Amino acid sequence: MSFDPTVAEADRHDQAPAAGRAVRIGVGGPVGSGKTALVAALCRALADVDLAVVTNDIYTTEDAEFLRRAGVLDPARIEAVRTGCCPHTAIRDDITANLDAVDSLAERFPGLRLVIIESGGDNLTAVFSRGLVDHQIFVVDVAGGDKVPRKGGPGVTTADLLVINKTDLAPLVGADLGVMSGDAHRVRNGLPVVLQSLVDTPDAPAVAGWVRDRL
Amino acid sequence: MSVLAMLLADSRFPGGGHVHSGGLEEAAARGLLRAEADLPPFLTARLRTAGLLAAVFAAASAHAAGSPRGDGVWDVLDAELDARTPSAAARYASRVQGKAFARAVGVMVVPSVDGDCGSTLRAVLAATPRPHHAIVLGVAAGSVAGAARVAAYLAVSGPASAAVRLLGLDPLWVNGVVAGMVDEVEAVAGEAVRWAGCAPAELPAPSSPGLDLLAEEHERHHREEVRLFVS
Amino acid sequence: MRARADLAVEVDRHGNTVVGTLRCQAPLTLVPARANGSALVHLVASAAGPLGGDDLALTVRVGSGARLRLVGVAATVLLSGASRSAVTFEIGAGAVVEYLPGPTVVTERAEHEASLVATLARDARLRTREVLVLGRAGEPPGRLDTRTSVTRDGRPVLRQRLLVGDPALDRSLPGLAGRRVLATESDFSPDEAEAASGQWWSRSPLAAGGSVVTVLADDAATATRRLAEVAEKTSGDESL
Repeated sequence: MSFDPTVAEADRHDQAPAAGRAVRIGVGGPVGSGKTALVAALCRALADVDLAVVTNDIYTTEDAEFLRRAGVLDPARIEAVRTGCCPHTAIRDDITANLDAVDSLAERFPGLRLVIIESGGDNLTAVFSRGLVDHQIFVVDVAGGDKVPRKGGPGVTTADLLVINKTDLAPLVGADLGVMSGDAHRVRNGLPVVLQSLVDTPDAPAVAGWVRDRL
Repeated sequence: MSVLAMLLADSRFPGGGHVHSGGLEEAAARGLLRAEADLPPFLTARLRTAGLLAAVFAAASAHAAGSPRGDGVWDVLDAELDARTPSAAARYASRVQGKAFARAVGVMVVPSVDGDCGSTLRAVLAATPRPHHAIVLGVAAGSVAGAARVAAYLAVSGPASAAVRLLGLDPLWVNGVVAGMVDEVEAVAGEAVRWAGCAPAELPAPSSPGLDLLAEEHERHHREEVRLFVS
Repeated sequence: MRARADLAVEVDRHGNTVVGTLRCQAPLTLVPARANGSALVHLVASAAGPLGGDDLALTVRVGSGARLRLVGVAATVLLSGASRSAVTFEIGAGAVVEYLPGPTVVTERAEHEASLVATLARDARLRTREVLVLGRAGEPPGRLDTRTSVTRDGRPVLRQRLLVGDPALDRSLPGLAGRRVLATESDFSPDEAEAASGQWWSRSPLAAGGSVVTVLADDAATATRRLAEVAEKTSGDESL
């Protein structure tokens, strides 16, 4: 396969992870596209799965407290990675801090089946290294403009799943969902696309189902 | 300078270095380091204290890796470096970086002085599962001089790069500052090389009270407010 | 002037710590004062200085189970010229020692080398304080090269060397951050301490047990008050 992340190509890294280790799924996408909300929704929807989260976003005890109060996830199951102002470096070029975080969670929870790694908000070229995740989801949102899928970039074109988020906002921002969906399917050569609104479906059933199929 | 040492000193080497600012983030967050003129004195003093310590232990570790040795040497070097690092936050940062570095080195096939960096690295990790950064660097660098140079250079280049990212300083100017320190970096590396074969207990122990206090507060602040670097 | 002082304390058959050996030469004068089963010895400088040419050595041996307080009664003012001082402790099993010398003032033309070497048995304790003042009021400091080396049961606990008097280090953030006073209080014990810190102070546990409190301040009174506050603080209370 080509290792050039700018080449749109079906991901052939779908083999099962090494025996006994948790499946690692990356969630990337631009700032404000709804990555954290999607991760929270997945935690709720996959409450029966032994899972943990690594966040590369700016993260404080306040965030941990929010998640705890919301009953989404025990803070002990969240590892925050500090990225030295370079979120894309931490998920792609130098993944050691994230690998250490995954290791810490695996040591703490030996039965772990799934680790969701949320990237810091970045641009359309930021993808996860295959050395860090087994599968990746790229999240864009309707409010970011309906030209985003057409622009492409490695995130949109090569992610294993593209999520077009906040579809409930389409009428408000004048975005054409038909255009977005059509462009997305065209640039992705058959890779799956999900259009969703966490307002309408707070537990992200389509994405949660896709994740379950990867376990 | 060997190509191997250049690889280890490259900021693109995936050894976890980009998330460490060497105290610069805490200084910047407190407004103690704001402008371009503040950077050279910080880098010079850091080189002569923490940089010298790192270079000395990297050189000693490279020397140990290339010598017939007893099993206890990695334990001894680890304990001696601990004793020279009174700040718990600084020890933590060094070990986080050491583990990350060991991961990156562990997957490389490195022709080192004993012909097999892998077995030496395994011995280090068996003695100290989270080794200090300087000690892993010494094992990987393949030569005493290379280890000392890379450690001294990283003590400066890491915070310099953090200054570009945190303060938006002109990267060309910052690069010029680092280039202007070449002689000082060489001098520190040279001093480290001279100590490499000495008994670990006798190795230099330069202190850096200011860096220690910045490191401690950085770690404490991270729990309440935003800090983007590990150290 | 070359001066040697030796002090040895041990436990007598009644369980009291008594002074066994006490030899001193001016300007290093030791004045014993018996106190409640433990030994209290005052360290009195009977001449000004140290100054150029002075070579002072104090050796203290503390027998198993003994308790000693060695207290300086005044500040040490390092005067002009090359001088050195060496303090050595050998502390036996279960012994408890407090070594509290007065502040050290590094005056402008001083060139002093100081060392503190302590060899502790496995469960011995040593608490010591060091207050370094860079110059008298309004005066730049001379040079001080100070080394600390503490081992417990043969393992290193703390090894530090500090150079004072190089403006590039004194004024820098990594060095003394432009502060005139560096104060440290070290508890070399097997205890685990809790970390705490504020703007220019911290209490940090050492890897081999015990802790060091470090304070940078603009004057000695502030530094020693802060040391006392940190020492008294109950763990977990970080409101300073």
